[in-house]
Amino acid sequence: MDLTLVVVLVIVLAIFFDFTNGFHDTANAMATPIATGALRPRVAVGVAAVLNLVGAFLSTTVASTISGGIIREGPGGVDITPTMIFAGLIGAVIWNLVTWLRGLPSSSSHALFGGLIGAAIVGAGFDSVDFGVVLSKVVFPALLAPVVASVAAFVATRLAYRITRRPVEKNHRSGFRVGQIFTSSLVALAHGTNDAQKTMGVITLALIAGGFLRTGSAPPFWVILVCACAIAAGTYTGGWRIIQTLGGGLTDIKATQGFSAEAATAVTVLASSHLGFALSTTQVASGSIIGAGLGRRGGAIQWGTAGKIVIAWFITLPASAAVGALCELVARLGLGGLVIDAAAGLAVIIGIFIASRRRPAAQSNALEVDVAMNSVMTRKEQRDAHKKRSEELFAARRRLSDESSLFDYGQREEAS
Amino acid sequence: MIDWGAFLVVAAVSIGSAAALVALFAAGLRLLAVDSGNVGIRLTAYVCFVLAALGTLYGVYLIIPALHPA
Repeated sequence: MDLTLVVVLVIVLAIFFDFTNGFHDTANAMATPIATGALRPRVAVGVAAVLNLVGAFLSTTVASTISGGIIREGPGGVDITPTMIFAGLIGAVIWNLVTWLRGLPSSSSHALFGGLIGAAIVGAGFDSVDFGVVLSKVVFPALLAPVVASVAAFVATRLAYRITRRPVEKNHRSGFRVGQIFTSSLVALAHGTNDAQKTMGVITLALIAGGFLRTGSAPPFWVILVCACAIAAGTYTGGWRIIQTLGGGLTDIKATQGFSAEAATAVTVLASSHLGFALSTTQVASGSIIGAGLGRRGGAIQWGTAGKIVIAWFITLPASAAVGALCELVARLGLGGLVIDAAAGLAVIIGIFIASRRRPAAQSNALEVDVAMNSVMTRKEQRDAHKKRSEELFAARRRLSDESSLFDYGQREEAS
Repeated sequence: MIDWGAFLVVAAVSIGSAAALVALFAAGLRLLAVDSGNVGIRLTAYVCFVLAALGTLYGVYLIIPALHPA
């Protein structure tokens, strides 16, 4: 009975991890089209959610190991118990939520690896972790992914500007917005096939460890369905904080740059997954945006924000490992420990959501005006006002993401 | 420990194909921007867009495992 409870807890938590993975990674695909006004925010997250859902069904062959060789699993190595998976998942979920609260894009799979490493060290000793693989699969790729992606995006952006250059007459760079829709969709689809699969793997392996499935069996249909829905729901919820960081916090993105950045992300992710050098989608996407920012003359990068993001990448593994280790330590007390873990994990999750609701002081004035307006307006008026505001924002995004050539400048002078 | 060969291949392919895809789309836009009514130029622009679209479709093909063996 004890084992059943653990497996149920693992499944519930894995599904929640899938959800956080979804809303953490919406930004990778959809931050730039939202920032340039290629897609309305709701439409963008909707498209990403559908593509994640479809992607999850397309690719359901799960890995035979959870950690991909980081932990010495299987014959001759340690057994990853469902309890360790549970502790590792708590670490991953909490780290995902903390980085989301700070608006930092960080890799969900690295968080999961970290949590599992922490749990395995406590549960099975230092020898259970292959630190060589940690270096070659996590640390070096984290250094190299942004470099490759930013060079690709930089070259692509430079080329795009050079080719479409028309100093005097009207340039048609707003046309890049149409292209952006396709490249971003490609990134979203790739994400769905990659990431939902990871959670399916975790649940399937937990079911095998619990003796509910035979070793080496494929994920049952309900697992696929639930994982697909969880990641799609997470994506649709939209991690707006991370979208803000990637869409505007790093650099001011024009349509040309958005297209180049997303094309570079899609190509790099596909090349890395098909030519045998795995790179994290999140790190590739952030790198591409920086590269695109450098590629436009006069484009400035907020290096402070970029630095914070990079620091977050390097803390991801140790931070989630620490939480995973702590949870495993408590879980070793037995059933009571598990319950304490679950309760504490839930409390932290709820605490983070409450913290995310609190508005910073600078916005409180705007909030007060909103509240005051709400009390005098009917519901329909409120809706209309809200709609009007988002229309204005959308129009402003489109205007700002176009680059006026001298031709446009002349036209505008005449009009005024 | 690190497969530098694989990394260099990934880097070269990424940079090369991102540049190719973006250049095609940009060339299409640039050619459409010429308002000369010349059918040849318009056609070339559409060829550029179609090639870029084929590149994207190849990406979809790579993403869906059912379409290619392992």
